[in-house]
Amino acid sequence: MRRALTRSTGALLAAWLFSGCESHAVFDGVAVDPPRPMAAFTFARADGSPFATAPEPGRPMVLFFGYTHCPDVCPTTLADWKRAKAQLGDAAARVRWVFVSVDPERDTPAVAQRYATQYDASFVGLSGDPMTTANIMQAFGVAAAKEDAPTASGYLVSQSSQVFLVDDTGALVALYPFGTRWEALAADLGRVLRRTPLPK
Amino acid sequence: MSGSRRSLLVASATLMAVSSACTTSEGAAPPRERMVRDAWARFADSGATSGAYLTLVNGDTVATTLVGASSPWARATEVHETMQHDGMAHMQARPSITIAAGDSLVMAPGAVHVMLIDLVRAVAVGDTVPLMLRFDNGDSLAVPVPVRTP
Repeated sequence: MRRALTRSTGALLAAWLFSGCESHAVFDGVAVDPPRPMAAFTFARADGSPFATAPEPGRPMVLFFGYTHCPDVCPTTLADWKRAKAQLGDAAARVRWVFVSVDPERDTPAVAQRYATQYDASFVGLSGDPMTTANIMQAFGVAAAKEDAPTASGYLVSQSSQVFLVDDTGALVALYPFGTRWEALAADLGRVLRRTPLPK
Repeated sequence: MSGSRRSLLVASATLMAVSSACTTSEGAAPPRERMVRDAWARFADSGATSGAYLTLVNGDTVATTLVGASSPWARATEVHETMQHDGMAHMQARPSITIAAGDSLVMAPGAVHVMLIDLVRAVAVGDTVPLMLRFDNGDSLAVPVPVRTP
């Protein structure tokens, strides 16, 4: 009798804990809790077509802000995306992988697109006009600044180096500071995709 | 084989190794003790920037200082270090890096790297970038750097 009571109490506790997990999404990255609705921005792509960061049902979005003269942090991030995408398998086709240049002075839309697709044909590379660039950076709290020290590449850029995960409602749900293992992003995307219904 | 005989053999082999080492060091040109391993570079388009990484081992008994790098495949080559502060990635040129005797300089993504700036040709997976490292005593070290999928 007593053992049965203990079992049912245990089951109740487990159910309560489980429901707690369901209501508060768990992320391997840094959770944004509560999720923050993000404004949408539209970029002109190299071929003239528009690309909007507005939410698409069933399709979470991963964003990174960088620049194509960046030899270290940006390629590392895009290479990590490629690993995460491979780990997710077919489900990764629903993810929008978006690289946004913070250096529109040097990065044309074509250069940004080429840079991103070197890693994976499905990656989107964007470079907007200065106003759009400034606005999306402000919305995501991203900073960038030209370094004072001259270099043979002209100038270096300091930039916010985290990756952003936006769900299919357009809400920012998690961040991945540079140095976060790519498996964390893959695991979180897997979770988000599992709870994101496919559009009918 | 008895234990004492085995010990004798080991001792002889050790003596031979030591003596051959002495012979080498007494030669006209002492061996350079700098070694590079785990070198690799990122792919990039012509005109773009690539990054290269390697581990430079200073097996010498004195410190050595890396003061630059060059490659015929890039219009400029610089050694830089990425640093993270408050979620921002900063890069800083490292015009010289001293490696203590017996120590290693480990280049890695997010840390020290070689910037290959304004490539004169596309660098693709399977290529090997010729890289020359320069040291403060005037020495140079040629390093073939394979390009691989990062």
